[in-house]
Amino acid sequence: MGRTVPTITRQLNETETMLQSFRRTLRRTDQTLLDGLLASAHRHLAAVSASGALLPFEAALLAMLLEQARQVEQLSRQVTMLEEELARLRGHED
Amino acid sequence: MKIESTGWLMDIYTRPGGELICWLLGEDGRRWLLRMDFPVTFYAAGRAADLRQAWRFLSGQARCSRATRRDLMEGERTVLAVTVDLPGRLHSIYQRLAQAFPQLDYYDADLPLSVRFAAQSGVSLLVRCRFETDGQQLLGLQPLESAWEMQAALPPLRVMEIDCGDDPFLHPPREIAVCCGRRRYHFALQPLRAFLVNLQALLNIYDPDVILTRFGDTWLFPFLNERAPLFNPNRDEQMKVEFRRERSLFAYGQVLYRGAQALLFGRWHIDRCNALLFGEIGLAGALELARVSGLGVQEAVRKSPGAGITALQMQTALREGVLVPAVKQQAETTRTLTSLIRYDKGGMVYQPLVGVHHDVAELDFASMYPAIMVRYNISPETLNQSDAPPGLIPRTLQPLLVKRLALKQCLRALDRRDSRVGDLKGRQTALKWLLVVCFGYLGYKNARFGRVESHEAVTAISRELLLQAKESAEEMGFTVLHMYVDSLFVKREGARREEDFLSLVEEIQAKTGIGVTLEGVYRWLVFLPARRDQRIPVANRYFGVFQDGSLKYRGIALRRHDTCLYVAETQLEILHCLARADDPCEQRETAWALAGRRIQRLQRGEVPADALQMAVKLSRDPQAFRRPSAAAQAARQFQAQGVTVRPGMRLFFWFTRQGVSIAPPPPEEMDWDRYARLVLRAAGELLDILRPAQKNRQFYLPLLR
Repeated sequence: MGRTVPTITRQLNETETMLQSFRRTLRRTDQTLLDGLLASAHRHLAAVSASGALLPFEAALLAMLLEQARQVEQLSRQVTMLEEELARLRGHED
Repeated sequence: MKIESTGWLMDIYTRPGGELICWLLGEDGRRWLLRMDFPVTFYAAGRAADLRQAWRFLSGQARCSRATRRDLMEGERTVLAVTVDLPGRLHSIYQRLAQAFPQLDYYDADLPLSVRFAAQSGVSLLVRCRFETDGQQLLGLQPLESAWEMQAALPPLRVMEIDCGDDPFLHPPREIAVCCGRRRYHFALQPLRAFLVNLQALLNIYDPDVILTRFGDTWLFPFLNERAPLFNPNRDEQMKVEFRRERSLFAYGQVLYRGAQALLFGRWHIDRCNALLFGEIGLAGALELARVSGLGVQEAVRKSPGAGITALQMQTALREGVLVPAVKQQAETTRTLTSLIRYDKGGMVYQPLVGVHHDVAELDFASMYPAIMVRYNISPETLNQSDAPPGLIPRTLQPLLVKRLALKQCLRALDRRDSRVGDLKGRQTALKWLLVVCFGYLGYKNARFGRVESHEAVTAISRELLLQAKESAEEMGFTVLHMYVDSLFVKREGARREEDFLSLVEEIQAKTGIGVTLEGVYRWLVFLPARRDQRIPVANRYFGVFQDGSLKYRGIALRRHDTCLYVAETQLEILHCLARADDPCEQRETAWALAGRRIQRLQRGEVPADALQMAVKLSRDPQAFRRPSAAAQAARQFQAQGVTVRPGMRLFFWFTRQGVSIAPPPPEEMDWDRYARLVLRAAGELLDILRPAQKNRQFYLPLLR
């Protein structure tokens, strides 16, 4: 915990509070997505804090992107696996 | 006639006349209260003209001389040395001088007497010494061991325990139980004269060195003082009991309450309910704390460990001829915003990967912050100097670190059932607390030898070391699950036994230069998410079972002080139930059934009221509460009963259908549903995460790697 500068958790929580009216205006389905994005930033608090950025939300956005990239990678891997499985099954049919 | 003897210096204090009294306990069992000539000196520094005026001001009150002494930050200074022959008079002389010459800097003016004595005479409290006396006066004193002695000889203390019941404020006791050794006496409090005669007789016959009480500070001694002002429980009959007022303070981010204190002379009084650490460290730990810090036992157990570490730093300074400022003089230097943002941070916290993990090792840096201060020579006067000699803080901490490590090694070598384990644990914990607070005191604004830049240097190095540890682990194929300031949790496919992780321990030790211990390998470990959003990980909130079957849990209801016994027991039973399996998910249904049975017991009204007692720490004055929260209601009920309620106090109450009650309510009034909800929530806290694998997989998809 810093002595003068608020902790990164507190800074992110404050940003989330500031975004409340933005969130409220979104559709219910989009609100859930936004919550997921913000939650994913919390998984990289140490890195966001270590960035030493004047505006830590910039680093938090990067953390969200990182989680998105991971999901994309995992989904691609699953799609590849499923495609291979499908090809194998089609091979059996032939 | 001169008598030479060996024994222990138990305490020192001054009588109202100002002379110094030493209480010694001889190895032959004889107790001595001896006067000693002990002139004390304090210093003033400033403009020469002011010092000359101050010298004239003090004529007839103290002996003055010109001297040169070293200030830690400013180097050599010409000072006015003021020597007072009667140590008890120093405080008033200093106060008068400081009032007349506020522009001067004062040094060594407000040191605890025992600390000054230890530094000046070389004899710390509670270490074995040889002394010479004529029966009235202490003529000579030499240490026979050091305060850092591992197996110090312990004085043969006589302990008297006085029990005034559970809460004498709410339920005034009718009788008082007094325990001397194996004998236990019950004295009726009324008629008071008979009680006082009995108690005085016991004090005379048994002549205890320690009086251990519950509510002695806040109730028993104030009560006796009010009703029987002539009753004197001191061994030194010339002294009266010293009463200090209660207070509420804000420290460590919370409101704390310190009850009134009643201190004795010639023997110690320890109130278990008012001694901050006594429950954890016991008498052996209290003696250790006093021995190394130099504070008297009564002070050491009642004050925060911060006072202990400050006393230890003062001793180092005095022994090395460094001046101890009466008021801290260094202000924080100006700096840029970028520098503030970059360095004003705490330890590294790496959010955990939420969920169940198997075969996880926990690695801890041993006394990380103090070890950093010693290894990297971090002290206010050595900042930004790469080749400076060891600073005051590292020199103070070095022997403390060595002794704690030795005590820990000693403990590890002993069987758990060994009778020495309790005392060793108490001593080790006492030293641990001194080491824990030494880092905080480096950045504390009122610390004599503190400097915020040094404080930041320690956290910056700790973050770097933890990152190095992470990199080492990843290079060796481990997955880092969680890092928390000075510990990390890792796992690797195929690594199950402790030996599988030892190479990592050695690698981190070699890379960082700080000792690392393997806390153990968990058979399984569960990292819990935040309550508000299951997708958000929370640091330091987990539970798990080690390979030897022992449990470890952090951040759950069971660890909280405001959780009632029944709820805590439920969580503990659930944890034991989960610990029976190699995978906690297998026991989920059984554990829910267990929780169900506990709720049914509540609904049948079978749970005793004691197990449902809630506790809350009052965060503010009762009148300042806006909403009628449980704490506010309980506080007002206590006030209605005539009990003084102060912020920081811990209040106990029960939930009833009408709100809360500070007395155990009858079963028909108890709010059973509310307690059932608490049990349900506590069970859910542990079991919700153990959902079937498929559900977890979807929910925590981004976390799977």
